[in-house]
Amino acid sequence: MSNKVRRLHPVAILFKLAKSLKEIIFYIIISFLTLRDNGFFLLGLSIFLSILLIHSILSWYRFTYRIKEDELQINEGIFIRKKRYISKNRIQSINLTENVVHQLFRLVNVQIETASGGNDAEANLKAVNREEGHRIREAFKSKGNEITDVELLTDYEEGEKGSVYTISANRLFIAGTTSGSLGVLLAIIGFLVSEFAQFIPDGLYDSVVTWIVGLSIMLMIGFVIIILIFFWVLGVVGTILKYWKFTITKTGDELYIKRGLLDKKQTTIPIHRIQAVGLKEGLLRQPFGFVTLYVEVAGSAIEKGEDYSTVLFPILKKGEVQAFLMDLLPEYSLLSNEEMKSLPKRSLKYYLIRSTILFLLIGLAVLYFVPALSWYLIPFFLLLLLLGYFRYKDAGFYIEGQHLLIRFRRLSKTTILLPARRIQAMENKQHFFHKKELLETIMFSIIGGQGMGKHYKLKEIETTDAEVLRKWFSNHKNNKKPGSAGAGPKK
Amino acid sequence: MRETPKSRIALDAIKAWKLIGILIAAALWLVSIIGMILYYFWGFPIWIVASIGAISAICTYLFIFLVPKLRWKKWRYEILEQEIYIQHGILITTRTLVPMIRVQHVDTKQGPILKKYRLASVTISTAASTHEIPALLEEDASDLRDRISALARVDEDDV
Repeated sequence: MSNKVRRLHPVAILFKLAKSLKEIIFYIIISFLTLRDNGFFLLGLSIFLSILLIHSILSWYRFTYRIKEDELQINEGIFIRKKRYISKNRIQSINLTENVVHQLFRLVNVQIETASGGNDAEANLKAVNREEGHRIREAFKSKGNEITDVELLTDYEEGEKGSVYTISANRLFIAGTTSGSLGVLLAIIGFLVSEFAQFIPDGLYDSVVTWIVGLSIMLMIGFVIIILIFFWVLGVVGTILKYWKFTITKTGDELYIKRGLLDKKQTTIPIHRIQAVGLKEGLLRQPFGFVTLYVEVAGSAIEKGEDYSTVLFPILKKGEVQAFLMDLLPEYSLLSNEEMKSLPKRSLKYYLIRSTILFLLIGLAVLYFVPALSWYLIPFFLLLLLLGYFRYKDAGFYIEGQHLLIRFRRLSKTTILLPARRIQAMENKQHFFHKKELLETIMFSIIGGQGMGKHYKLKEIETTDAEVLRKWFSNHKNNKKPGSAGAGPKK
Repeated sequence: MRETPKSRIALDAIKAWKLIGILIAAALWLVSIIGMILYYFWGFPIWIVASIGAISAICTYLFIFLVPKLRWKKWRYEILEQEIYIQHGILITTRTLVPMIRVQHVDTKQGPILKKYRLASVTISTAASTHEIPALLEEDASDLRDRISALARVDEDDV
């Protein structure tokens, strides 16, 4: 491989220019509105734009990179020179993305992530040739990958062997239909409430008001149906754009994900960088037995949508998870385990109170001023109560060997598998009432995306169970010092 | 049930926290006095002034006389060879376990108030969380920092 100094593709100038323009377009419009009659405005604007263009060209010219002995070296800056060297050992993941412009010129955007925090990727090569992008990724792949895998990486259209999974058109559609959990749910609730409104006693209104109300209810129902359809279409289109031809491939000790229609993305995740693997059952997906698989990778700022986690597969039947994980991530196959140590009955009240207290307070205040609204509030209250109950019912944990399985629900039911060696700290909390009832709240911290901590809580579990967890965590050999497995020589 | 950690933090922590409490109370009383002046000269509603006064009185008691002592009493820590064990909290008891090999770095910190009493706090950071042991004697804090840093110095698992 040649390690000569390279520049980005000139299209990068365009990106840079577009980015600076986007930042100041507001001021340009303002000055246009106030100064449009002034003859100097156009002159000033064109000078200003030329400066921007020159700046973009210069910064493109001054941005060079090269690959030298397992190191990516970047030099940039027009006046202040910045050198950044990133060693291969510290790279968490490499992402190749292509937006429409990239695709036009057969280019890719290369983002290289290390474990450190921040919103931006540590190194970002905004526009390089596709071949060059793949070459960079090859250069920084972890060791142990045979060269034969390269074939598979560059020609990923056809899946061979068992380690390639592609989303089917059918599944993609289902994923889209069931994606807009919250929006669709709100629409359904709105619909139910408007149905409910019909049962308002007639005596409350005289006939004219009733007629108007009736009319507005018809309008409301129509409106709600339109919103429902809108969210549904939005979900389907969004999902199709995002997960079009979602393909995950295992090559050696890396996972390689390719997806997207307009913005094509390719992500490489070294398996040993994975901190945890999760399984999410969305409100609308759970009844049909569909789940989403995701992984926590330190420092990956790419996947902003889903809690900064990286989607491993957008939609799977629950029954398929076991085989999928056995094939791709056998270490994490425990995730499909259904058996859980659940919470004691006495913790239920805390869950019910927590899920309704805020609504109850606001609701009471509203009722005090507008008593007639009670009919609208009751169904919400019942739904929240139900949510609280399911949060209680779904919560639980399971220990097997060096793995801990935690299940909890916010809206979606989530199961997450934490290897002991990935847990950074454990915290137990107990307040006065907990102490009396022998309950405890536990929290495990792992490294999340953006280099910040990610915390998983299990509220109000038995003290004896918390003790079991504490012992498991504290005595685990992977959390002990040398001599134990897993602590290889420092690179 | 695992027994509580052995070590306590420095007794002078109470003094330092009391001083902080005094500063907070002083600020509150200042507001109350301003309120009284407003009431006296411009007929500001008395019930607001009275409630500010009541809040000041309660806070004075809490932050100067009650909380510092209780807080000190509830604060325990223990540095074991393999892990750090911390327990604290007046109403909510929090117990934290940090495996030694997960420790990324240790800092000691000292603000003006802690300095006055020759105290310092120790902050222990992992890749995902930070934990603080407040108000140790200066020497103890730096000893602790060095000890944790020595214990934590092992070939770490790749992050």
